[in-house]
Amino acid sequence: MAQTQKSEIQDEKVEKEPTLLGAFTAVMIVGLFIIITWAGVFILFNQRF
Amino acid sequence: MSMTNRLKVDRRDGKLVMAHFYVAFISLAIGGLAGLLQVLVRSGMFVLPAGIGYYQLLTLHGVVLALVLTTYFIMGFQIAAVSRTSGTLTSKQRKIGWTGFVIMTIGTILAAVMILLNEATVLYTFYAPLQAHSIFYIGLTLVIVGSWLGSAVILLKYRQWRKENHKQTSPLITFMAVVNSIMWIVATIGVAATVLLQLLPWSLGLVETINVGVSRTLFWYFGHPLVYFWLLPAYMAWYVIIPKIIGAKIFSDSLARFSFILFLLFSIPVGFHHQLMEPGIDASWKFIQVVLTFLVIIPSLMTAFSLFATFESYGRSKGAKGLFGWFKKLPWKDARFVVPFIGMVAFIPGGAGGIINASNQMNQVVHNTIWVTGHFHLTVATAVLLTFFGISYWLIPHLTGRTLTKAMNNLAITQGILWAVGMTFMSGAMHAAGLLGAPRRSSFSEYGGASIAAEWIPYQVAQAVGGSILFLSIILMLYIIINLAFFAPKGEQDFPIGEIAETAEKTPKILENWKIWIGITVLLILFAYTIPFIDMFHHAPPGSKGYKLW
Repeated sequence: MAQTQKSEIQDEKVEKEPTLLGAFTAVMIVGLFIIITWAGVFILFNQRF
Repeated sequence: MSMTNRLKVDRRDGKLVMAHFYVAFISLAIGGLAGLLQVLVRSGMFVLPAGIGYYQLLTLHGVVLALVLTTYFIMGFQIAAVSRTSGTLTSKQRKIGWTGFVIMTIGTILAAVMILLNEATVLYTFYAPLQAHSIFYIGLTLVIVGSWLGSAVILLKYRQWRKENHKQTSPLITFMAVVNSIMWIVATIGVAATVLLQLLPWSLGLVETINVGVSRTLFWYFGHPLVYFWLLPAYMAWYVIIPKIIGAKIFSDSLARFSFILFLLFSIPVGFHHQLMEPGIDASWKFIQVVLTFLVIIPSLMTAFSLFATFESYGRSKGAKGLFGWFKKLPWKDARFVVPFIGMVAFIPGGAGGIINASNQMNQVVHNTIWVTGHFHLTVATAVLLTFFGISYWLIPHLTGRTLTKAMNNLAITQGILWAVGMTFMSGAMHAAGLLGAPRRSSFSEYGGASIAAEWIPYQVAQAVGGSILFLSIILMLYIIINLAFFAPKGEQDFPIGEIAETAEKTPKILENWKIWIGITVLLILFAYTIPFIDMFHHAPPGSKGYKLW
């Protein structure tokens, strides 16, 4: 009985978990921007030094 | 949140906060004007009148904006935030706060007078062997000592709250102010050491020479956490205040606290990434500090995720559909959100540039070029400053018993947009010219007609255009601030403090175990700096006498 209640509470928690796919994608875009800028200056570095 | 959580900052605390803000905004006016004159000189179309030196102006700009404006605003804001969430200051705490304010202000005036008398044209980094008048160094020391008292107010209030609310989790924004205050105290020990033990005796003629390597290392031991001391109050607003303004909940209390702890740990033992091109420091220690620097990226990306998550959760609760539909649901007509939001966006290229600066050998591409100036105008002068402006738009009326009217709100949005446009021109042109090799800090020169220098001039004109737009934005900002402080209609302006989302996990107690976090901070500092310092003393070059090159 106690176990059933526990799993119900867990189910509720899982249901309440918000969808954050947009936030995840946005952070990935930020990461990509960082990588591209870094790579751009790295290419300059390789050309000059 | 605790029962002591008040909705309004007490008027007596409010006066202390406003005293800090007045100095901050007077600094903005002076520093902004200096900045305008600098970009005009660098365009090659303007010559400074009345014997004012370019480098004198540059020193003034750096000192009053990077050191004075920021420190005063942060001290004021943190006191307000702690008073609002952990209770009104006791009269003893308030007295300490006022004493700190007075000491800081005496120091600021001494340093400013020396700069205006052209006795301290050593730029805001005051690198040896440039030697200023001893009163300039005494002034700086007083600013630091005064700020320690301001930090002590935060720590005393926090200790009192913990005693009165045994075993409870402290208010999030108070916790954040405590982290920033601890970081500030630990960091300023370095600059206090170089000023009191090296620069002051040397400028007084008590010793003839100075160990330049040691003084620069002590400066950057302080100088890098200084930038996080600027940034963390902006993060406080992003984590705690912005969610309330948009009508959302804080995504996670634990994540916010943990990211601040990471900043405490990794902001200090990283000063060598400002000294990557300097001799006298072993390459392996530079490498170690570069690695530690890169660890600071983690809490910044955690912050980015947390903010996006707050925005998305809110948008979806309002029925937003699609991957980015939530973006449209944000309050785009509220200056309290829009102005700091522009700052958040600016921090993306600002942060990306910072990673390039810190990337050891790649630093050679940008070191001492105006790219670096462009970088910190995105970070401190946009991300941080626009957040501070956004805070002022509700905090000043809150403290003065007035309200932010619709007209002022719209003007504030215009101010933020003007800043974004001006900074895109100025900082963008600085980044581009920097990649072409244009030096930072230097006045206008055609370098004897060198073709490479000719390439930089159009970018310098673009910087002047951007700088002029920024100056207009500053005028607008000051107009709004004066209105909010003295003329806006009387009323109640809310001090927004976000609540934690129901779905957030319980905050672990370990995050407030200061013995652990301060212990690790000290260990990391000792690890990163002990052997390099021993090397600097053991293999010390001949000391340098002082130079006055102005």
